[in-house]
Amino acid sequence: MAINLRTPQAETRDQRLGTITQWQGSARQLAQDSTFTYACGRDCGPGGRRLCELSSPYSQASMCAEQIAVTNATIIKDTVVIQHSPIGCASSQSFTSRYSRDLAARRGWKPEDPKSICTNLSEQDMVFGGVDRLAQTIREAYARHHPRVIFVATSCATGIIGDDVDGTARQLEEEIGIPVVALHCEGFKSRHWSSGWDVIEHGILRRLVPNRPTEKRGDLINVIHLGGPDVFSPLLNPIGLKVNLVMGGNSLERLADLSTAAATVTMCFVLSYLATGLEQEYGVPEIRAPLPYGLDATDAWLRDIARLTQREHLVEAVIAAERERIAPELKRLRGLLAGKRGFVAAGAAFAHGLIADLRELGITVDDAFSFHHDPTTDSGDAEQDSLGHLVQSTGDVPNFTVSPDQHFQAHAAILRAKPDFVICRHSGSMAILAGRMGIPVLPIFYSNDGLGYEGLITIGRAILRVLPRRRFYAQIAEHSRFPYQDWWLNETDPYALSAEAAE
Amino acid sequence: MSRKPKQIAIYGKGGIGKSTTTSNISAALAEAGYKVMQFGCDPKADSTNTLRGGEYIPSVLDLLAEKRRVDAREAVFKGFAGIYCVEAGGPAPGVGCAGRGIITAVELLKQQRVFEDLDLDFVIYDVLGDVVCGGFAVPVREGIAEHVFTVSSADFMAIYAANNLFRGIEKFSNSGGALLGGIIANSINTDFQREIIEDFADKTSTPIVQFVPRSLTVTQAELSGKTTIEAAPHSEQADVYRALARHIAGHEISKVPTPLSPAELREWSARWAEHVVQMERTERGERARPRVVA
Repeated sequence: MAINLRTPQAETRDQRLGTITQWQGSARQLAQDSTFTYACGRDCGPGGRRLCELSSPYSQASMCAEQIAVTNATIIKDTVVIQHSPIGCASSQSFTSRYSRDLAARRGWKPEDPKSICTNLSEQDMVFGGVDRLAQTIREAYARHHPRVIFVATSCATGIIGDDVDGTARQLEEEIGIPVVALHCEGFKSRHWSSGWDVIEHGILRRLVPNRPTEKRGDLINVIHLGGPDVFSPLLNPIGLKVNLVMGGNSLERLADLSTAAATVTMCFVLSYLATGLEQEYGVPEIRAPLPYGLDATDAWLRDIARLTQREHLVEAVIAAERERIAPELKRLRGLLAGKRGFVAAGAAFAHGLIADLRELGITVDDAFSFHHDPTTDSGDAEQDSLGHLVQSTGDVPNFTVSPDQHFQAHAAILRAKPDFVICRHSGSMAILAGRMGIPVLPIFYSNDGLGYEGLITIGRAILRVLPRRRFYAQIAEHSRFPYQDWWLNETDPYALSAEAAE
Repeated sequence: MSRKPKQIAIYGKGGIGKSTTTSNISAALAEAGYKVMQFGCDPKADSTNTLRGGEYIPSVLDLLAEKRRVDAREAVFKGFAGIYCVEAGGPAPGVGCAGRGIITAVELLKQQRVFEDLDLDFVIYDVLGDVVCGGFAVPVREGIAEHVFTVSSADFMAIYAANNLFRGIEKFSNSGGALLGGIIANSINTDFQREIIEDFADKTSTPIVQFVPRSLTVTQAELSGKTTIEAAPHSEQADVYRALARHIAGHEISKVPTPLSPAELREWSARWAEHVVQMERTERGERARPRVVA
């Protein structure tokens, strides 16, 4: 079903895509159940059954959609984000500030602190309503920073009391004369933080992407990524495409160009709401080929881009040249990495991509830990079934755990896997856990590292750098204690505590 | 692309006859050939009972209580003359948050394009009218209802609730919210009651769109689980509701009300209360009947 941009609130991904956060079994089964439940709906071959979610009796730590939405709004240049919330919700902004400066340094921009204000709601505002304070804050934000756009992010508190954020935003927009974009990101609405991507992308689509039908550019391709260095231009410039890199820190100009591009690619289907919306609203086609992780997938991805942008005559030469360029180094890496066992922990489509990369490098991956699972995508196109594609092209992952970043479950999963190394996102939690368990770990903060041909080399080399550090990690483990009882310290089933299957 | 339905919110204090009036308006509109949805926004979830033969339907929030992923269409039921009946529902008394319930239920239907897909002429929200928190104001906010009507009797408490609603509307009118269509004066049988409500309407510059007398026909119809339009289509009362429905169907321009301030309202009601006392005294004096003391 098409995404609905008429309402100010984005529909949650739990509702749109049937997203789950707790599951375990084999990747093959998960892919099959997902297809059975959301694609054909009835009997689609042997082994079909309804996708059921597990339930875990407790949660140690996690985050929510608000953080994703707020962080990704805050790092858009020339904007101010107002968090209409109690002050505690703003604690994640210290991370955003560091992130924003780091991004700036990597992309060659002037490092600046991003601008963000919290309305600091208190008991009084909960009782009497917080919109007056919000209006005042918007005026203050405009006077202080002269932004070109102001985002207003809601919170659980304002969602429950029903503050009319849309009305206030509209009113102030008329008063101060710049777009005031409401982001409805109440944490309680979705079980998974990745719904925050949908919220910010919903806001961008509704308010910051003007329709420019007469300015279509055949040589511009939108790339939606999580953040980090531009690894796309070296891959796409040779076929005559310019990259419009958005999300993960971008300018309002780049967002305004979105509707003029020839096509959109996403480096992770978790972020594909924006791509699907651009196709639906402005006819900018979304590249649906499997993500470019591993040689064959990268070939297919480039060919699909070339097909949609009429560059088929250029692409084969680029593919051949790239393959040839990396072949010697790939061979060397494969030789050194053969037989190693890797454990992948990341979010959904990105995890699937990393597994494909590792397998291309000759590493065995029998265990993975995905932070959530989307059984389908907004386009509903089977082409975007990244897990199904992984299983078909590289084989099953026997121990595939879906867990929203829960330490105690990751502990059991890593213990079961006994890997030579862990490769993960969410370095603050997963990397530290693996390190304290004595396992060499490669944290990936910027998730573009594994993309395309060069990504294989980047990742392979990085793994080779961490593998020799066994003694260092053994030392760490020796001095580490976990807050679990002995029986859990030896438990290798992440869902041993799970009682019953939940709907 | 489907046409945009006319969206109307009817507010009124609990027990004032708001659901009865709303259901009869829906029934009269449907009888006149319009495609109508009635959306009950009251945790009691009984707005549409008389459109469904006295039967309760599962609410949107009942579905949400059962599972995380809700197909809002499962909460839409056909009633009298093909009226689509929906109840927002809500938590049990004393727990949870009924206001958030309304926000969630309305949002679910909007996001799933239920209104567009059914190609409706009218969506009528029947809302508990004390407007005690942000959630109950959702139907009057931007992008939902365009016109608000309030059902009020000459009872002071009902008028207080109406005045509160006017304050809400006044507030949201700055940010694109719905405007006030007028007062539906319900259970008005005496000239005195009529005077009170007319005076209030006058003070708040609000039109009275229809006087609806209290009638046994309505009670009888309700007892049989039906609207008056269905149970007693040829009654005088049914024609009153038809006239009201015609008015609402033709209604185009609503206004920002001028509610009384709390002090003004107190003063206003004190003045009328004096009248009432005066009148009762006169009445008692005229009858000069000794009280029976047990």
